[in-house]
This record gives sequence, structure tokens and C-alpha cells, in this order.
Amino acid sequence: MAHYATDEPVYALATPYSPSALAVIRASGEGVLSIFQPYFTGRITDAPSGKAVHGYVKDECGERIDEVMTVVYRKGHGYTSEEAFEIMCHGSLPVIRSLSALLERAGIREAERGEFTYRAFMHGRMDLTEAEAVEEIVKARTERAGSDALSRLTGSIYREAEAIKDSVLNILASLEVQLDYGEDEIPEEWVFPHEEVRAIITRLRSIAATFASSRLYSEGASVVIAGRTNAGKSSLFNALLKENRAIVSSEEGTTRDYIETEAVIRGIPVRLFDTAGFRETDGSIELEGIRRTEELMEKADLIIYVSDPSSGDDPHPDDDSRTLTVSSKRDITGRDAPLSFSSVTGEGLDEVIDAIAERLSRGTEAPEGVPRIDSLRQKEKLEETAEALESAELSSFAGFDIIAMYLQSALSSLGELTGEITGDDILDRLFSSFCLGK
Amino acid sequence: MRDYDAIVIGGGHAGIEASLSLAREGFDTLLITQSLDAIGRMSCNPSIGGLAKGNLVREIDALGGEMGHLIDRTMIQMRILNRRRGPAVQAPRAQADKFSYSRLAKETLEKEHHLFLFMDTVVDFIVEQGRIAGVVTERGWKISSRTAVLTTGTFMNGKIFIGEYEAPCGRLGESAAAGLGDRLREKGFRVGRMKTGTPARVRKSSLDFSEMELQEGDDPMEPFSFETEHVDRPSLPCYVTYTTEETHRIIRSNISRSPLYGGKIVGRGPRYCPSIEDKVVRFPDRERHQIFVEPEGEGTEEMYLNGLSSSLPEDVQHSFIHSVPGLRHAEIMRPAYAVEYDYLNPLDLFPSLESKLIGGLFIAGQTNGTSGYEEAAAQGVMAGINAAQLLKGEKPLILSRTEAYIGVLIDDLVTKGTEEPYRMFTSRAEHRLSLRHDTADQRLTPKGFAAGLASPERMERLRKKSAEIESVKMLLRSARAGSKSAYDVLKEPEADIFSLHIDGLDSYSASVLREVELDIKYSGYLLRQEREIEKAKRLDNMEIPADFDYDSIDGISSESREKFKAVRPVSIGQARRISGVRVSDIAVLSVAVRSRERG
Repeated sequence: MAHYATDEPVYALATPYSPSALAVIRASGEGVLSIFQPYFTGRITDAPSGKAVHGYVKDECGERIDEVMTVVYRKGHGYTSEEAFEIMCHGSLPVIRSLSALLERAGIREAERGEFTYRAFMHGRMDLTEAEAVEEIVKARTERAGSDALSRLTGSIYREAEAIKDSVLNILASLEVQLDYGEDEIPEEWVFPHEEVRAIITRLRSIAATFASSRLYSEGASVVIAGRTNAGKSSLFNALLKENRAIVSSEEGTTRDYIETEAVIRGIPVRLFDTAGFRETDGSIELEGIRRTEELMEKADLIIYVSDPSSGDDPHPDDDSRTLTVSSKRDITGRDAPLSFSSVTGEGLDEVIDAIAERLSRGTEAPEGVPRIDSLRQKEKLEETAEALESAELSSFAGFDIIAMYLQSALSSLGELTGEITGDDILDRLFSSFCLGK
Repeated sequence: MRDYDAIVIGGGHAGIEASLSLAREGFDTLLITQSLDAIGRMSCNPSIGGLAKGNLVREIDALGGEMGHLIDRTMIQMRILNRRRGPAVQAPRAQADKFSYSRLAKETLEKEHHLFLFMDTVVDFIVEQGRIAGVVTERGWKISSRTAVLTTGTFMNGKIFIGEYEAPCGRLGESAAAGLGDRLREKGFRVGRMKTGTPARVRKSSLDFSEMELQEGDDPMEPFSFETEHVDRPSLPCYVTYTTEETHRIIRSNISRSPLYGGKIVGRGPRYCPSIEDKVVRFPDRERHQIFVEPEGEGTEEMYLNGLSSSLPEDVQHSFIHSVPGLRHAEIMRPAYAVEYDYLNPLDLFPSLESKLIGGLFIAGQTNGTSGYEEAAAQGVMAGINAAQLLKGEKPLILSRTEAYIGVLIDDLVTKGTEEPYRMFTSRAEHRLSLRHDTADQRLTPKGFAAGLASPERMERLRKKSAEIESVKMLLRSARAGSKSAYDVLKEPEADIFSLHIDGLDSYSASVLREVELDIKYSGYLLRQEREIEKAKRLDNMEIPADFDYDSIDGISSESREKFKAVRPVSIGQARRISGVRVSDIAVLSVAVRSRERG
């Protein structure tokens, strides 16, 4: 966290992070309404305090994320007494995740534990006692310390981050020395070390990419079961659910085109969709249903195509990286098709589940020799560092003072990853590496 | 009834600014110095300004201080440093005629109506109920005053070293001020030792300039003061030469005779300005070190050997100086020496530079552990302004880190303290892009005016300049250059305002045009910083009461608690800058402070 500053736009999920009918996401800080307005179809920037506005939340491309109610709080009202809003959305995890990600991209950061209470207190909400506010902060600190310990950079990744920090510090010191001493004392022209900076950026990006695999386990994937009508999709769906004791809820798709449920497959949290079957039809309702199914398949991480060998003319889709074809009704057809299973006898189901898990984790394996990270925060800091270095490179034609500014921010992002870095570190480096002073 | 409103102890660069600030605001001020002939003396290199330091001089000037005027009228060479390395880090530096500088400083003090000068040495303070009440001098005078500013430089228990020789001096040939440091120790001040050094001065006619490189100044010379229209001064060259293998060999074989390496000097010296023996020992791979040969004035033969400061014995100095091209027959007029002196821990100061131990006592300059004339003068002007504020019963003027290098300097001192002589560097400022030297007047003159130091004429000058800057920007917005406005064109790094041909521009001065160009070029980056600056400002505005009881808050780590108690920060902003304090402790502290405010 930056520093318990008030008024900086922050958001937090106010309800537990688990599937439920309704979830509430709360945001607070200067200008949050106008930050959120472009993504919301209802008018909130001029709505009065306490008003609930109906509308759709849309992402940057105009894609609908969810239909919600947004309650508006003007400055001086609401929990924190800051300008604020509360989104009441559907309580499904993908919806919560998409909304959070959207707010994050819009420039509203996730609040620290206790930060809302802190703000409420600082803004004079007298019904909160000091003790309460302090307790929250202290609790947040211990929890954070606990989670920090878990996500602390260890072993190879720590050494790697320190090494990168060291290189950036060296580059910055070699530049700062030119800004702190005149050209008569340090006559050498500083040249932007493109190769070195490129190498650092590439390294940062590849470490950041290792996060994809751990994200699979923390955030999950969406899996769509598709196939012709009566191919055995629902049987597979039910079989997968039966294997699963971690089912939390099952709900019907809003248009009855699909059924959606949460499941865990070999440790990977999965949002499972059972779709309406493909059928040649010209009925407009059916066509609409097919369109929706296709849309769903478009977004899925994996499509399980269930084919029924007993029906003969079953069209196989291309077996690309996102599609896994399985054969149903093994009890009838025997096991001549690969990945054939029977939902009646349960034969072959284990192999199918293994194949699904294998497909989902494909491509998320970390490259050789690159240390892995396992927290979003670490990934963000690494990416921030890479971006700052890229900006530094892009400004290599501007003044040294501008380049230094970007190198500074790269360093402070790294500092947040491995531990604080202060201006004194740079001067220390400067004095120890260069012979200075008239 | 008091003898004076204020007493300023010391007539160096800090003392000059402090006494002028007080006297110009109409307070009867007595400046006590050990030597009236040593006012404004340049003990070390005969130059003013440089990177970050040049910004300090312009900030002092913008507030209504004197240093800019003094150097503008006594310079003998002037350069803008780092022209090619980025506008935000350019700064002016000038060589001074050190004798004229010192004389002009004394003349300026003498002209001031409310300022009195007196030669004596202060040996103790008179303190009544925790507040300053006056001073006691060596010759037995007891002089009363309501405030005092202490600016002793290197003189408090000063001791110089030249090899085996040592003497109680603040400068070569000038005796140290004994006693005061011990009295302050008794009063509970944390007193430490620091060390600095200066090179030999050699006779110009004994040097061979054909073996050196010539270094000319800029033409025309640019002024430091916003009130100086143009500088009409001679420009003398400097020279550059280099040490040799032989120089290094001589130093290495005599290193045990250095009081620094022999362990006689305990004070910490500056890493950024090492002695030649330090450079040779720490960087054994360097084949040669640069030496600048600089004139000390117009009417003198003394030349300053910048880069050769040393505390080695004089016979060794002779040998190694004579091993340098151009200096082979150099006649040494004054030897190099090291000086060790008492400094007072600046953590015992409020950001106003008022002592936390004795009310009404302000401390400025090298006494606070800094080095450099500009750093000293910057503290002097602030100490003077704030002593005057106290006399008027008004709140002190505290400059923030985001608005001035002076703010960075003082905040660093009173929040982090210092382990070595503190010098200003641009990299100490988080937001140096907004601390350009050419904008010092816009940043600070209104504050200096509000405090009563900057004159109405200064404000009028600033108003005129700001209006001109605005009109130039308007002109650029409406003028087209190709498909864009001239204003937008200037945002590109390579665009240059002087090569734009726009009607009306040539009626403005080059300095106004250059400033507009930089404003435009940096506008995007400045916007980036603005939010952070805003945040910092808000935290600085959350004041912590002076008598706040840190033991009364629960939920704060004991480490942070000790740090808070040692520094006693005046604001949440300052508390946050103390090194090693946890973020959550700052949050708890702000909750506690706010809850106390509400009763």
C-alpha cells in the first residue's frame, strides 16, 4: 500500500468473496463517480446522494459485464464521507473478478484492510471510535505480515529481483552522477544502455509471465461443454459434478441456453457451462440460443466437445488448443475412440478429467531457468518496473532528467517488491562507484 | 527591556543572510563575529553555485536574500553547467573574486540601518525559563536579546591538521571558538565532530599554463539574482591539469603520515569531496585525477588547486604538487589542511531551524552539519526569516520539499539528521523537475514578500515576468507551425523556441522565452508529479502538536515510537519521511493525532 492517504480512489469487495446471489463492491475517493461513469450506462455523475441507479457495467470495448444497481454517495455522505459508490452486482466470481479488474484498469486501486474505516475516521465519522480504527489497522498489519510472509520473495526470485535492482541502480547512479556533477568534472558522455535495459525488460516480462500458471489455480478457468443434441453433454456435466464435492452452486443460464456451475477439476477452480446442443434449425429463438452458445465458446478457456460415435455422422470440430474432443457412451460403443467414457458405468471418466486438467495447464508452465512468482502484486510490480524502463528507453532522446525520472520509478517499483529503496541508496552507490569531487 | 531584538553569532555566509533578514524586517540586530575582517570569507573554493547549489542561490535571492547580489557584483567567471544534460538539472556557477566578495558583504551589512556589528567571541548563552535571553562573550559582555541565531561554521572547537602539525583554528591562522561547544554539551545539545579540508594555494607566476588546458567561462555572463539586469564583470580563465603516476606513488608512500589515516581525525569527512589521499587509496585503478586551477581574485597571485585537498605534511604536499604538469615549480603560498569541528545534531531542530532545547535560539549553516556556502546561506536566510516571524508572533515559514531545494535541505537535516557534511544534490529532491533555477522567483518570492523580506519592487518584477510568460504562451497557442500550434510543437524534445519565427516573440527577453519553452516541454511530466505533490502537501498539513505524547498511543511498534520521540516530527508528512518508520504506524499515529484534536 502507498500510505493510508485519504481521497485516493480505492475499491473493495464489501461482501465475502464467494458465489452468492448478490455482491457489493464499494469505491471511495476523489472523483470516483466520474472515473466510473464511462463504464456504466446509468447516469451517476449528476445523481443525488443515496440514489440507486440501474444500468449495465461495460468494459472498454463496450462488452456488458453485468446488470447492476449503483448507489451514489456525494462527498460528506456515505461510510467514508468521501465521494463514493456501491455496485450491487450478481454474486458470481467471474462477475466480481471482471468488475474488480475493470475498476483497477480505470485507476481505482484495491483498498488495504482497514482503509475504509481509517478514512471514515479521518473524515470525522464520530460514530467510529479511535480504538476501532486503530484495531483495524493493526489487524490489517498482522494479516498483511502473515500474507507477506507467504508471498515473500524467496530463494531464486529474491536473488533475481535483487540482481535486477542492482543493475537498475547502477544505471541510475551512472546517470545521476552526470546530473549531480558538471560536465567539466565528469566529461564522459552518458549513453543510454539499450542492450542492458532491453535484457532487463525481457527478464522482467518472463518472470511476470510465470504468474499465468499460478493464476490458473487462484482464479480458475471457464470450460464449456459443447456438442450435438443428445451427444451426452449433460451426462458428462453431471458426471463431472458427481466427481466434485466442492460444488457451491448451480444456476440456470439467464436465457436457458446453458447451465452454469462452479467445480474444481484436479485442483483447478472451473466455471463449467453445459450448453444447448447444435441443431440445424431456422427457428429464431433457437438461432438466438446458438448465437449465445457460440459467444460463450468464444470466451472459454477450454471447450469440451462431446461426440457420440453411435450416432455415426457426428461432425468433429478442429482439435485446436482450445478444444478437447471426447467420446460418450463407451458402454454402448466400446473403447475404440480416444478419450471415450461412459457416464453410466463411470469408465474412462478419470482419463477425461486428467485430459481436461492437462489441457487447462498447458502453456502456463514456466520457462526453464525463470523463477516463478505466485502473487498478483508481484506480477504487477514486475510489470510496472518493465513499463517504467520502457518509458525511460522511449525518452532517451529527451533530457537526462526525464530518463532519470523513469529509472527512479522503475527502482521504486522494484523497491516495493524487495524492500524499500531511498534516495540515499543512489548517493551511496554514486560515491562508492565514482571518484568524485574536485 | 532587551539590548537587541536578535543576536547573530558568526559573520559567515549563514550569519550574513540571517542578520540581513532580521535587520531588513526592522529588528535591531547585533552581529557578533571573532573577526570583522573575515565577514563573508570563502574559506575553501572561490566559487558560488554549481548543480543544485546554484538553485539554492537563486532561491535565497527569490526570498529576498543577499548571496545573488554579492556574487553578481564580484564574479570573475560564470558558466551554466550541464546545458546538454537536461534543463531541470542545469545550474549556474561562478568564480568569485574572494576579496571583493568579502568586502562587499561587509559593506552591505554596514549599510543596513538596524544592523550592528561587534567583534568578540560568544562563549555562553543566557537562558531564562528555557528561552534564549542573551549571550556572554569572551571579554565578559553580557548582551541581552529576544532571539539569537547561531552560525559558527567550522569555528566551534575547530582544529586544523597539516600532517603532524595541529592547531586550534577554525581557518588557518584564525583561532577557534573554544568553550561554547562544551557549554552547549552541558545544556543537553548532541554535539558531534565533522571534518573537511581545503587544498593548497599556489602563486600564479610560478605556474606553467602551457602544460594545462584552458577553461573559459560563458559569454555573456548570466546573473544569479532576479534583480540583476546584466553582469558587467571581467571573465578570467581557469585551467585544468591532472595528477600523474608519480603523484600517486608519493601519496601512497606517505599515507601513514596523514592524520586521517593515522587516526588523529575522528570527525567524518564528506564522501563527495574527498581529499587527494582518499581518492588515491579508494580508487587505485584511476590513472589520473583532474585538478582545476582557479584564480582567487583579480588583484592576487593566489590560485586555488581544486581537487588536491589534503592533510598530508607540507613536505609531502611540496613533492606531490611538483609532480603535476604545470605545477612543477609551483610556489606554495598556503598549505592544504584539514579542519575538524563541532557540529550540533540537526535532529534537535524544528523545521523553522529553531532549537528544540532553547526557545528563540535558531541554528544555521555548517553548525548543523552541512557543507558549502550556499547550504549555509540558505539556512541563514530561513533562520533570519523565522527569528523575525517569532518576534512578530507569527507562524514560521516552512518551505516544503516540493517547492524548493531549501525545503529539501532543511527537511533532510531535521528529519534524517546527517552523518557526514551534508551537501545539496539534485538527486536528493524527489521532484527536481519542478525545482528549476529559473522558476525560483515564481516559487518563492510571494512567500518572501508575505514574510516581510522580499521587497515590493521584487514582487512587481515577478508580476511583470509572470504576465510576460502568460502572453508568450498565448502567442504560441494561437500561432500555427505546420499542422500544429507553436505551443504543441515546443513539446517535442528537439523543438527550439528561438528557431520559431513568430511575430511578436522577439519583443520578449531571451530568459522569458527560454523559461516558457521549458514550461511547455516539461508540462506533461510535471502533471505526472502533481498528484504526488498534492498528496505530500496534504500530509504535511496534518500537524502534530508539539507536546504530543507518543507513549500514550497503543498499537504502534516500539521501534517507530522511539524514532518519533527522537525526531518529534511537526507533521504527519515529516513523520512519514523518518527512515525506517512503518506505514501502518503512520496510520495509527494520524488516527491518534486526529482523535486528540477532537478532544
